[in-house]
Amino acid sequence: MLRLLGVAAPLIGLAAVGAAFSQESSEQSAPPRASHSFMSSAQYTVPDVRLVRDDGKAVALPEEMNDGRPVVLNFIYTTCSTICPLMSQTLAQFDHELGADRGRVHLMSISIDPEEDTVARLHAYAQKFHAGPEWQHYTGTAQASLTAQRAFNVWRGDKMGHSSVTFVRAAPGTPWLRIEGFVTPGELLQQYHHLLEQSGATVATR
Amino acid sequence: MPDRDAMTAWRLVTASLALAAACGLPECATAAVPASAGESIYLQGVLGSGAPLVGNRTNGGASTQGADAACVNCHQRSGLGSTEGNTLIPPITGDNLFHGHAHSGSMHGNRSPYTPATLARAIREGVDPEGRTLSSLMPRYALDDADMAALVAYLKSLAVHRVPGVTPSELHLATIFTPDADPVKRRGVLDVLEHYVVEQNGSASANRRWQLHIWQLAGPATTWQAQLEHDLQSEPVFAVLSGLGGSNWGPVHEFCEQNAIPCLFPNVEVPIASDGDFYSLYFSRGVLLEAELIGTDLARLARDTQHLAIVQVYRAGDSGEAAAHVLTTRLREHGLSVRDRILAAGGTSGRGVAAALREAGKADALVLWLRPDDIAALGSPPVVRQVYLSGLMGGLEAIPLPASWRGLARLAYPFATPDHRGAQVNYPLGWFSLRKIPLVAAQVQVDTYVACGLMAEVGTHLADTYVRPYLIEQLQGMAEHHLVTGYYPHLTLGYRQQFASKGGYMARLTEEHGTVRVVADGDWIVP
Repeated sequence: MLRLLGVAAPLIGLAAVGAAFSQESSEQSAPPRASHSFMSSAQYTVPDVRLVRDDGKAVALPEEMNDGRPVVLNFIYTTCSTICPLMSQTLAQFDHELGADRGRVHLMSISIDPEEDTVARLHAYAQKFHAGPEWQHYTGTAQASLTAQRAFNVWRGDKMGHSSVTFVRAAPGTPWLRIEGFVTPGELLQQYHHLLEQSGATVATR
Repeated sequence: MPDRDAMTAWRLVTASLALAAACGLPECATAAVPASAGESIYLQGVLGSGAPLVGNRTNGGASTQGADAACVNCHQRSGLGSTEGNTLIPPITGDNLFHGHAHSGSMHGNRSPYTPATLARAIREGVDPEGRTLSSLMPRYALDDADMAALVAYLKSLAVHRVPGVTPSELHLATIFTPDADPVKRRGVLDVLEHYVVEQNGSASANRRWQLHIWQLAGPATTWQAQLEHDLQSEPVFAVLSGLGGSNWGPVHEFCEQNAIPCLFPNVEVPIASDGDFYSLYFSRGVLLEAELIGTDLARLARDTQHLAIVQVYRAGDSGEAAAHVLTTRLREHGLSVRDRILAAGGTSGRGVAAALREAGKADALVLWLRPDDIAALGSPPVVRQVYLSGLMGGLEAIPLPASWRGLARLAYPFATPDHRGAQVNYPLGWFSLRKIPLVAAQVQVDTYVACGLMAEVGTHLADTYVRPYLIEQLQGMAEHHLVTGYYPHLTLGYRQQFASKGGYMARLTEEHGTVRVVADGDWIVP
């Protein structure tokens, strides 16, 4: 289920609605907006697939995702030279800016080219972005990666078709915030804090 | 890695030869190896001073530097740009930037041609000739005047020239055979190629007739590269397609890299794995992949035991030698050692194999990098826990392993197993059968067919842009959509990916009703 957030939704970045659906060219003039991103709220069923973490451990995706921590998720591959490095840099900067709160979050990056992205390659990629223990990268079989991509509606026919999408969820059972396009680290941080506040309020009124 | 060492040696031996010959053709001046300052900025992200290139992103994005900041990452080696999802990276070759007016709706937006001054402003400040801000994806680079001039000169050199081997009606391709290539397989490969060319030239969708040149190498490997340079001079080709090697493909690989000639999917057991090389694409890592598969399996076997004595057997100079080096390195990483028994070069008649095994002493695991003749002459099995064999060298499911060895054997098998192949292999086999092409080496012939199919399909992607690096870039993108993958479960490539199939099975041999079958023992492994 995908629900577009209404005007009343207290999320920033709504001025960017529609940006993700127009083709972005590096030579097109930039519109006067904070970012090139588009946000929506969505529920996804986390598929029960086995993945392999960048430390070599075989894990179940639902367990990795549902350990209680807020999750920030994206899909990348290590030989992607255009948008993935930017997505990973954004996560790295976001992680850095969390400061002392860093230990509370779980950053997850799932490879969409899992056969090329062996554990060793993923580990090297993670190190390049100074990923701490809160940020894990995942590979696995081609089928497992595909299942995960389909579950989060990011599969676009092949790896070259993928676009920049970032997912944030405050806690298991709460909706995901889906951010399409290039969110900046600052915006991601604002969204993250906002989602946590909302979630806390929801829990308090229960 | 030993193949890396071999490559370095080749580069030393042949560098002077290649430099002399590389620019025999007028158009290759810009594509050949000698680096200019502009090329270093574009490809490596290294400034004229030797300092790393730094790119800053606006919009709160982080900065990048060095190789990560190099133009090639997004705009590609050809300079023709790329598409990733809904992100379009525009072409930045000289003709695109400086000539003509980019129309609205094209990838350039609606802008007038750049001048060197407006281009410098775009690179430094992110502003196009119309005064509009470039996308935040494009970093800003604070280049000094000398670096900027060098980069602009390089971009101009990327303009789409007339390319050798391409005329308005013809596309010239070469296929290379080394003298140590198996003569039976050679005939099989050539049969497929010749029939495919006839078929392709009769097809309505082909926009150019293929002209296939056979480059048959002779003599010692040290002379091959010079022979190839000579062949290229006398028969300029756009790309090298398929072909067949023996145990040494190094000089051919090096020729293709140095002359910037795409070298597409040759049939080789020992390909050259080299980070940074661009023009050589292979189906798989061949026996080097098998060594990784066996290494992974042995490491698992070693976990259940205190000591594992491993012996590997190969013939000097054959493909197994390179595989054995890789396996030794892999096992060392797991704290395991391996003893080598090396059979004399040249013989594949089974001579000395049984004796070598007797003399090898006690082993828990035996790894045999052997050909069918040697395998058939193994005699009775020694007392071992496990025997590993190279599927590729041993003849895949036709492996003549004596019955008494079957229960012990695990086969490295870098293909789909026979019961999982289906139409992917049956289609080419039916194609051969209809054309009465004798089936002499099925896997190699099917690979050749798939290579031709990929070349034909990528031709339609190129439209009329016959630019050599662009051919590679298009293959990187389209390989995973190619329908007939032959013996491989799937093929994928990407930026800086040389090998289209990445994994394999460990298989065992079973006998049912008098028929020996190869069955996968476990999942597809990507070591």
